[in-house]
Amino acid sequence: MSTLRDNWRIVLLVVLLLASTVALFVPGAPPGTSANESAGGDQLTNLQYGIDLSGGARIEAPVVGMTAEGINVSVNDEADAQQAIADRLGIDPLDVEVRGVEERGENGTVEVYNENVTEDEFRTALEDEGYQPTTIRDGVTAETRERMVSVIEDKISTSALSGGRVQDVNSPGGQNFISITAPGRDADELIDILNERGVVRVYAVYQNDSTGNWTQQEVLGQDDFRNIGNAQEQDNQPQVPVVVRDGPAERFQNDMAEAGFGGGASCGVDASDHDSVDTIEGTCLVTTLNGEPVFIGGVQQSLGQSFADGSFADDPSFVMTTTSMAEARDLQLSLQAGRLPADLDFESGTQNTLSPALADQFRTNSLITGLLAVLAVSLVVYVRYRRREVALPMIVTALSEVYILLGFVAMAQYPLNLSHLAGFIAVIGTGVDDLIIIGDEILQQGEVGTARVFQSRFRKAFWVIGAAAATTIVAMVPLVGFPLGDLSGFAIITIVGVLIGVLVTRPAYGDILRNLVLDE
Amino acid sequence: MVAFEVPEVDYTQYSNRQLIAIPLVVLAVALGVLAVTYAMTGSPVALGNDFTGGSEIKVQSSEPISEQQATDLFGDTVVSVQEVSGQDQYIITFERSADVSDLTDTAEEADGITVLQSGSTSAVFGEQSQRFALMGVGIAFLGMSLLAFALFRTFVPSIAIVISAFSDIVIPVAIMNLVGIKLSLGTVAALLMLIGYSVDSDILLNNHVLRRSGGFYESTYRAMRTGVTMTLTSIAAMTVMAIAATLFGIDLMASIGIVLVLGLTADLMNTYMLNVTLLRWYKYEGVNR
Repeated sequence: MSTLRDNWRIVLLVVLLLASTVALFVPGAPPGTSANESAGGDQLTNLQYGIDLSGGARIEAPVVGMTAEGINVSVNDEADAQQAIADRLGIDPLDVEVRGVEERGENGTVEVYNENVTEDEFRTALEDEGYQPTTIRDGVTAETRERMVSVIEDKISTSALSGGRVQDVNSPGGQNFISITAPGRDADELIDILNERGVVRVYAVYQNDSTGNWTQQEVLGQDDFRNIGNAQEQDNQPQVPVVVRDGPAERFQNDMAEAGFGGGASCGVDASDHDSVDTIEGTCLVTTLNGEPVFIGGVQQSLGQSFADGSFADDPSFVMTTTSMAEARDLQLSLQAGRLPADLDFESGTQNTLSPALADQFRTNSLITGLLAVLAVSLVVYVRYRRREVALPMIVTALSEVYILLGFVAMAQYPLNLSHLAGFIAVIGTGVDDLIIIGDEILQQGEVGTARVFQSRFRKAFWVIGAAAATTIVAMVPLVGFPLGDLSGFAIITIVGVLIGVLVTRPAYGDILRNLVLDE
Repeated sequence: MVAFEVPEVDYTQYSNRQLIAIPLVVLAVALGVLAVTYAMTGSPVALGNDFTGGSEIKVQSSEPISEQQATDLFGDTVVSVQEVSGQDQYIITFERSADVSDLTDTAEEADGITVLQSGSTSAVFGEQSQRFALMGVGIAFLGMSLLAFALFRTFVPSIAIVISAFSDIVIPVAIMNLVGIKLSLGTVAALLMLIGYSVDSDILLNNHVLRRSGGFYESTYRAMRTGVTMTLTSIAAMTVMAIAATLFGIDLMASIGIVLVLGLTADLMNTYMLNVTLLRWYKYEGVNR
């Protein structure tokens, strides 16, 4: 037993190596993964690869909008204030968000998500409504960004992009932005999905009998649907079945009956002829997606009848037909995932796309590069010491450091990119440096007679190692906090690697050497 | 196979002035390069797309692409075309006014060209990264300096570490300017790694000379034996990485490798000429003052 206790550092190393093996190779071992899932990774290990190594797209972009702070508006007046401010600015109420004050001392905010509104216009509109904003700044509130993140996540997962990551990235003193990573897609596809705010509206278009003017009345909005069916094709007609919520269903049926759809309506207008609902002249039910009509159709007599006699509300379902299957899918997606509170400003962001073929190349080649670097290190170490019992444990220890770090990365399900591999190489480099310090200190100052002499030399070597590790960590810490994308990942890997080295593997190497030296 | 021993340098042959002159001249030249670059471009280092904004696509092409051909195909926004050695791959860089989706479409439509990678950074974003990268390197350097002073608590040995780390960063940056490697997020990472590597050998040397028994020259030799082995090991690893990554066309790893090889070589000079001299002066003259 005492051997075990004396060599507890080696025992710890072995335990961690085994744990890393489990984390790396046992399917489903890392938390949040299941045995058969391998999105963004490969089948062999539990490692997650970022877009550099698996292909895909990453987009970082700020949210379009302005925020006025210090607005004194109560929660109950939010809706009225929203409408009033939107009217003054001449924009859609959807582009205005009012967050009222629930308790005294809270900071009420008004956000505008329309890039055409200037700060002055915004301030004037607010003052005309009797509010005194303390500040007006670029950017939106944290609540809005959170909602952006969750809607984007929904959009990405409903569009069958698996393994995407969406993050709200804070820059201290700078612009906040949303970072979106999606493996296996290119940036254009991703932007197409995101560019659409996904605003769905349903209008009833009808003619006033006396004046002959056409009225476009909004009868259903995005949030009025209870259930959205899958886009499907029936009788060569792409369609999306929908069910309306109870409250809105009643309002919808009354509106429709009043508008004169009670007896059904034949429409006779083609959706592909119109860019906007305003130009449509025909008694039609119109669905728009981001303002563009995707469905223009009449109302079947039986459906019209149900509006008139009030039975529609008992079974508030109908189908929206579209001109193409692609449109039907877009419509379904927008209805399901909801709309983005605001647009993303892609022009002021970054975007990257990497083809899976190149990523595959990178993966294999960077592995080879890493192995070659290790080989070079081993060669130099061996040539320098010419003693297998010194050089071999050194190389094995340095490699186990990398192995444990890989285990950690697999456990954390951290997606690996090229910059992280650079971090691994930095870790091998400092790791071997430190082992050389230990080796030299112990071996090259005359015979090691007793365990006590060994201990004292080891402690001396460790002072240098600890000091060097501390400086490396100090040098890397600021990067972790800054929104520098890959650079932050590199810093995290390096810090964790140095910690594993100082706390586990380098002390273990000392124990290994002691056994070798004192046995002689 | 030949074994290598770190040769013992007879420092007694050289005066402090002689020893310190070379690293100081090199540092001065490097600073001069940065100053000239600053005067000419308004920035002491050539900034890459990550920091200035701009677009870049990497394509696989069955036929060689010259700058002229690229301009014919994509228009006047083409800034440069760089061939990835031996892979039939080309990196085409564009001004930031170019729209990367249009460029990708154009490239996809052209015969024999496949787009492997595309990226764009807006000017706003680049500026922000620039600010944070500068702050990052600044804070890292400051933190390292404070730690050096905390470890040794005497002025000369601590400032020796700081100066030599500074020089270790400035020299590779100057060479990058000369050979045309632009500063990217990847090379910033390499410069930060240099802080770590550079300090390793300096701390080792200071520790041996100041905190151990034994004469100055003997301590210095012991520290050198370990320190030079360390640095050579790292240089070997980084040389191999730089060469392999260049052949494979992994730019990020290649530039990290090159920057580190340059920096580590500069570190050998700075540690064993600059730092040693400052320590010798401190040991024999400074302490008595």
